[in-house]
Amino acid sequence: MSICQDLGLNFQQRMGANISQLERDIGSEQFPPNEHYFGLVNFGNTCYSNSVLQALYFCRPFREKVLEYKAKNKRTKETLLTCLADLFYSIATQKKKVGSIAPKKFIARLRKEKEEFDNYMQQDAHEFLNFLINHINEIILAERNQSTLKLQKTDGTKEGVTCNGTLPQSQNSDPTWVHEIFQGTLTSETRCLNCETVSSKDEHFFDLQVDVDQNTSITHCLKCFSDTETLCNDNKFKCDNCSSYQEAQKRMRVKKLPLILALHLKRFKYMEQYNRHIKVSHRVVFPLELRLFNTIDVPQSDDAVNPDRLYDLVAVVVHCGSGPNRGHYISIVKSHGFWLLFDDDMVDKIDASAIEDFYGLTSDIQKSSETGYILFYQSRDASC
Amino acid sequence: MATMRKKTQVSFVIRDEEERRHKNGVSSLQLDPIQGRLYSAGRDGIIRVWHTGGGTQDRYIQSMEHHTDWVNDIVLCCGGKNLISASSDTTVKVWNAPKGFCMSTLRTHKDYVRTLAYAKDKEQVASAGLDRAIFLWDVNTLTALTASNNTVTTSSLVGNKESIYSLAMNPPGTILVSGSTEKVLRVWDPRNCSRLMKLKGHADNVKALVVSRDGSQCVSGSSDGTIKLWSLSQQRCVSTIRVHSEAVWALLATENFTHIISGGRDRLVIITELRDPDNFMIVCEETAPILKLCFTADQQSVWVATSDSDIRCWKLPPLNSLHSDMYNQNNYNTNNVYQTQPQHHIAGGRAIKHYTVLNGKRHILTKDTANNVVLYDVLKACKVEDLGEVDYEEEVKKRFKMIYVPNWFNVDLKTGMLTIHLGQDETDCFSAWVSAKEAGLTTEMDQKVNFGALLLQALLEHWSHPNRVNEGGQKVIGNNFFNVPLHTPLIFSEVGGRTLYRLQVGDAGGETESNLLMETVPSWVVDVAIEMAAPKLNKLPFYLLPHSSCQSKQDRQKKDRLVANDFIQCRKVAEHVVEKIVGGGDVNGASAGKNSEDSVNDSPEERVELLCCDQVLDPNMDLRTVRHFIWKSSVEFTLHYRVLKQ
Repeated sequence: MSICQDLGLNFQQRMGANISQLERDIGSEQFPPNEHYFGLVNFGNTCYSNSVLQALYFCRPFREKVLEYKAKNKRTKETLLTCLADLFYSIATQKKKVGSIAPKKFIARLRKEKEEFDNYMQQDAHEFLNFLINHINEIILAERNQSTLKLQKTDGTKEGVTCNGTLPQSQNSDPTWVHEIFQGTLTSETRCLNCETVSSKDEHFFDLQVDVDQNTSITHCLKCFSDTETLCNDNKFKCDNCSSYQEAQKRMRVKKLPLILALHLKRFKYMEQYNRHIKVSHRVVFPLELRLFNTIDVPQSDDAVNPDRLYDLVAVVVHCGSGPNRGHYISIVKSHGFWLLFDDDMVDKIDASAIEDFYGLTSDIQKSSETGYILFYQSRDASC
Repeated sequence: MATMRKKTQVSFVIRDEEERRHKNGVSSLQLDPIQGRLYSAGRDGIIRVWHTGGGTQDRYIQSMEHHTDWVNDIVLCCGGKNLISASSDTTVKVWNAPKGFCMSTLRTHKDYVRTLAYAKDKEQVASAGLDRAIFLWDVNTLTALTASNNTVTTSSLVGNKESIYSLAMNPPGTILVSGSTEKVLRVWDPRNCSRLMKLKGHADNVKALVVSRDGSQCVSGSSDGTIKLWSLSQQRCVSTIRVHSEAVWALLATENFTHIISGGRDRLVIITELRDPDNFMIVCEETAPILKLCFTADQQSVWVATSDSDIRCWKLPPLNSLHSDMYNQNNYNTNNVYQTQPQHHIAGGRAIKHYTVLNGKRHILTKDTANNVVLYDVLKACKVEDLGEVDYEEEVKKRFKMIYVPNWFNVDLKTGMLTIHLGQDETDCFSAWVSAKEAGLTTEMDQKVNFGALLLQALLEHWSHPNRVNEGGQKVIGNNFFNVPLHTPLIFSEVGGRTLYRLQVGDAGGETESNLLMETVPSWVVDVAIEMAAPKLNKLPFYLLPHSSCQSKQDRQKKDRLVANDFIQCRKVAEHVVEKIVGGGDVNGASAGKNSEDSVNDSPEERVELLCCDQVLDPNMDLRTVRHFIWKSSVEFTLHYRVLKQ
């Protein structure tokens, strides 16, 4: 721990010069009121967490809900959510406009919550995001259940087995604010090629995971996501109507779009010949504005969210380097009309045109690259 | 051995000795006009032969059984002497058609074989399916195959990029057309295996094809709901016929290629004049999607096979009566359907559509397509009781018992009959140890039997394996408790895949069968079924603690971690508590309670009671049942005891 603190001190000293630089870059008149740009200190390969936390902080609906949680919840017991709320609150209430902060408590809690993160190794930022969002959601659900349970008699057997791994989507309760922000619905339609019966199934998602192709765009990746896939060979479909395994065609389409659409570019591909994951640095253009086409119209239903929903890019988690367990994560975020780059405790203002640098590489040879890895798009008709 | 175990799966079918009716849909039909026989290929894996002539009496002649999955297509060749069949078990089989036995099995395909085509003049058959390959077979070579001379050289037509669902050849064998999910027709010259053309136009899978005798024209039926007439000489689509409202799955052309008869998902049989598709007529409406059409000998009627098990024969309208004006004027009936009653009807049987494995993991309750409920005994591979049309859910509920036995088999309904796959890997076929007395096999107390082992012993009891002797040099046969029906089909296959060998239980004693079994049966089966090795017992760890209500008396606060066989009854645990923990030298029952009558008066369960999750346990309940129904978790299984009298 002492090493980390020393490091933190060093960074803070180095920041000294940087702070004024950022403020100068933005200009005191342009500097948005009530906004703070604080870097996050790295505790030894915790950039996977720092980059995701910064991106989430600048997803305004999420930040506001976390701060609201902080305001409403009088401290009971420490959870990852209370740590996150404290961190966000601490950034939002800083006297200075810029600087850096050490998310010490959050990291300590994270290491306690999940064994995989309890070390000093580089982690996959997407795995972390996935864990964080699911975990926060479970905390909210558990707290909600507890408050309702208090009225009833407590069930003795349920102790200690509240949240573990991914809980099944809660159908029993109303959506949480995590659902309201991130959750969308996919419909998978499967047609048996023998009897040609179509069966469809809805599934919820917190992010969409798309394959990347060289020299393409996000729109192309999303189109591929909805391409028809044939279930064949050893992967046949068990058709209820045929009572047997048959070939089938399956396609996924978005039925309900979320308020914030998180897109995970599958840049780490498992290569059998190397026995490990290799980074795919393909150039994939992500636009500042995105409209989704692979949605289905549900004409009669009012809650089917406007399929032509227009999205704005608000944050990008960027992976720098050559593999999932090496390299570095940074994030770029949009705040009050300009773009900022967060590299652990350093914050810089960048031109919107500089985003192009993170699309990827057109050449297949170079393995190391700085590429967009998780994209956060916010719906334009979001209330905030 | 571990790898062997992964590779080979043991399965069997529970069925009647003679299954005179199709139990599932019928995929294909072939007529032998000379003998007056109709061959039907069943999705129950059986090809059946029927009399076409005569009255309405029983038409059944015989069954041809050797496939282990759906028979998807058949062709009758050599003037009715041989039948070739294609199946989802990935094989093509050659049959002696009049006698009904399988002459040889071709294992060249790697996935379901969906379709066959026949060039009558050349006695050539083509097969194709989901592995995208087309193989050409010379029938005369196939029928000459023997056990020693069993190499076949085939030609294959390559180039298909997706699964093939339809094939057609003209009788002289100069043209072969294939239809696939690629939505195109690919045309070959089978004489030199050269690709001739690719015809685009359909918007979905092509499921039915016919080629004119001269090979100049072709008609295709597609899942896009259309029928297309193609000129192969001009390499183009001549016309698109839209008479069906859903996918077209079956086609039949009249002899001089003037009319096409079609059927499909909309259950209608429609006849259309190819030159003027406005002239069409609905021949009949079937009860299920149509899979195959086949002319009667006089070509005045069609036999229709559907995804139901019935086969019906419908009269066709006179070809010159299809004129649209006439059709509109002649209102045959309100639905404008030419025939409402079939000429002939071969009644099918019922397919099992639902099943529930009862808690004892021995009996299965099933419901079939006619809502008939039947109880089966998996262990003895037989039907127990036909309950008739009763409330299935109610019967399942009624038979619920609070006992837990681990899974040891999987159920498969693909053929409409019960196929039982003995467990592999996570579902271990030797996981179910039960009391022989409770299983009703013996009256002897305390004898434990293993369901999987008993069944394997019964299934292979006729196999004259050289090692079938015990230490005393005596022959050991079967399992000493029961036999399974001799007709039971026993199947060895690659897990989730291709069939290696199928035989009937009663035939295992034959020399050929014994030799094939030697090659096929994996050693883990031989160990148990022949060498009579006892399978491993399942150990279940648990913690034993004094109950909070009597904790003060005991100082044993440490958790006692014990391990016992999973079928041990709570009574035994209570005995252990009495003997080892509460003990008490003054109680005479402490000496294992072997003969003293006091121990009967003062049995362990009267002295100590066991609890799990604060629920008092029945002494007859076994540990795995307690864990499954009361503890409801696989970790930290904990029991408490409470002393009733010292």
